[in-house]
Amino acid sequence: MYPQQIHSYLQQFFKENNCPILSSHEHYLIVQLTEEMDKKIMNRPFYWQYIESTGGEPVPAQLTLITNKNKLNQKVVGEVIHFGSPRLTQLFNVANEMGAFVCMYEPGRPNQEAILTPWLVVNYKVSYYSHRTKEAIYSLGMNLMTGEVFKEFQESLFQKQLQSTIPQNTFRLPYTIKPMTAIDRLDKIIEDYILQDDHTWVTEAKEKWEKEKLVLEYFYEGVEVKPERYQMEQEALARQYKSKIKIDVVNGGLFYLKGN
Amino acid sequence: MKVVKSSIWKEGFLERIENRVEWDQWTLYKMNYEITKENLITDFHGLKAVDYLPNLQLFDHQLQAAETVIEEMNGKAILADEVGLGKTIEAGLILKEYLIRGLVQKALILVPASLVNQWVDELNGKFHIPAIAYRKNYALEACQVVVMSIDMAKRKPHKEKIYAENYDLIIIDEAHKLKNHRTKNYEFVQNLKKKFCLLLTATPIQNNVYELFHLISLLKPGHLGSFESFQAAFSKNNRHDEAEEFLHELVNQVMVRNRRDDTGMTWTNRHVEIIPIQFTQQEQAAYEMVSSLKETSPIFSHAFSMITLQKEMCSSKEATALTLTKMKERCTNAEERKEIEKVITTVMNVERNAKAEKAYEIIQKANDKVIIFTEYEASQVYLQSYLYSKGITSVPFNGRFSKSKRDWMKQLFEQKAQVLIATESGSEGINLQFCNHVINYDLPWNPMKLEQRIGRVHRIGQKENVHVYNLAIQDTVEDHILNLLYEKIDVFERVVGELDDILSHVNEQQPSNSKII
Repeated sequence: MYPQQIHSYLQQFFKENNCPILSSHEHYLIVQLTEEMDKKIMNRPFYWQYIESTGGEPVPAQLTLITNKNKLNQKVVGEVIHFGSPRLTQLFNVANEMGAFVCMYEPGRPNQEAILTPWLVVNYKVSYYSHRTKEAIYSLGMNLMTGEVFKEFQESLFQKQLQSTIPQNTFRLPYTIKPMTAIDRLDKIIEDYILQDDHTWVTEAKEKWEKEKLVLEYFYEGVEVKPERYQMEQEALARQYKSKIKIDVVNGGLFYLKGN
Repeated sequence: MKVVKSSIWKEGFLERIENRVEWDQWTLYKMNYEITKENLITDFHGLKAVDYLPNLQLFDHQLQAAETVIEEMNGKAILADEVGLGKTIEAGLILKEYLIRGLVQKALILVPASLVNQWVDELNGKFHIPAIAYRKNYALEACQVVVMSIDMAKRKPHKEKIYAENYDLIIIDEAHKLKNHRTKNYEFVQNLKKKFCLLLTATPIQNNVYELFHLISLLKPGHLGSFESFQAAFSKNNRHDEAEEFLHELVNQVMVRNRRDDTGMTWTNRHVEIIPIQFTQQEQAAYEMVSSLKETSPIFSHAFSMITLQKEMCSSKEATALTLTKMKERCTNAEERKEIEKVITTVMNVERNAKAEKAYEIIQKANDKVIIFTEYEASQVYLQSYLYSKGITSVPFNGRFSKSKRDWMKQLFEQKAQVLIATESGSEGINLQFCNHVINYDLPWNPMKLEQRIGRVHRIGQKENVHVYNLAIQDTVEDHILNLLYEKIDVFERVVGELDDILSHVNEQQPSNSKII
């Protein structure tokens, strides 16, 4: 993310979370946190415990966030935010937590009735770990009437006008597949899909691991009782090269869409 | 293969579908999806940081070095590019990548005091990383990326404060200073927790292969067995090829080393000459008199002080007389003092300085900017006045100068003076690409110091061929120094790899531009 992107990201993030932006300049902004946001990001549980037990007037914090320090001519005291800064990573995590589940509806045309089909969408993030890392997003959508599954589903939803309240003049079909069952099925599909993937990276990691073990062994040749640090090196190599796949869910939800 | 799944999301979904908890907002949902997508590491290879540094010119070897460190070495590496290829850039790039990937939250950069500001400027200006220079009383817990002089860091109370923090990445510049494992610096670094660690040095071996043992041990403690068994396997008298092969393999696992020749860039040539010099008769006599002092008093029988005096005599009478005067003061025996005084008088009566004359000759012939490196401040002062008497302007330089004074001297040299006379401590962190003649007036014991010196001018940005003149007085201790230098270069090349020319070939007394060492 470039400074400009970070700036607009922050603006949008705080707006969506009902935190008023008190002043916004090109390269920095001052934001008033809500109580909820303060608890989430300011890391001061004792303060909140104190306020709550004494019934005191809570004063949520204000943050000054500098988004482009290099272009800032004035002297501004605040946190410098850059791509990779802990604060930004923290806000990403908050967004991850607060934007994980939705239930959305596609409205029909005015004065026209529409039939809405239920879909379950799950966006998976798959991480491949060995000494190297690779990540991918798989967005799967299942039609809860027919059980059909589509890939790259989320992107297509961003094209649509959706709302979070049930639109007028629409009829929602009941699902024949329960959402919880659908989640299990999608989980199975993604896992099978990943296992069938190309896994030469695993073999490569193993080969490198073997080679490094050989070198380590060489320097301990003939040593009968190997010291603790030898074990530590072995474990460090295992941590580095052992291959592992992790499947997380970024977010997902229930979508009522026109057509089928 | 292990597949790890989490059921947290599923539980959260169930809560919402049963209307126990409210659904989230669509906008936040979209932001979450988009940012996750943006932050993905989509390929096993390649750096994300590059996309965010559009204004930084990166060379292929720098990108590759950063990639190798992250992808193959798990962030524990010795960055050992030849001087002037941009190790700082490589380290900055690695730091940036780890920050972006969220793998590093806090980083500590330990550098010589004279380089602190340079690091802070480069990280801020080139990488948009808000690094700060550590000052006393700073709260370390609030600093994400902090640059600190290693000499300050190892002392109370800073040491304790640093140990209390959890640094994900530690970068150590000029890491060859850690070659001695008995120093406070080494002990300090050894006890730091190191998830990722970069050691920057152009010269990972300076004198012997054991130094490499200590450097690698900082990154991978215990990987090389015990020091005793290592010593046994790699002692000078007991070379065997298999051991060297394994060491070489290990070096490949932890070290990235780019040479000028493999960068794919066109480099100007480096012409290295050894210039043999004959003492004048007077100098020769004085040198022998100084050497015979070891029979006069036990003070001089110590090999080290004798060699120092001989080296100084090869440099200037001023340097020699200064040391002799100091030694005289420590002498209690009246007769010995008298003897020393006699030697001082002889030394000071020497009229000409053959080496300085040769240096002057080279400067005249070059008819261009020249840097002279000497080991002694007395010679530095002498050379300045000698050159002045010949109508040549010069400025002194040494590492103890403050930053502003160093900048000023550099500027004077660039714009006004023809010659810069530097002592050893001046050979770090100053970049003088506008000059392309280097005279090594005195030879150091350590070949890597020569490399450091030459690296001041032979680096990215140099447009002319670089000329290096190594001055050595024949039939003196300097012959011995030359031999040692060749031996050490040999050790380096066997274990680490080739070196660019720093001395010319042993048997080659003719001025040459050959590429062999």
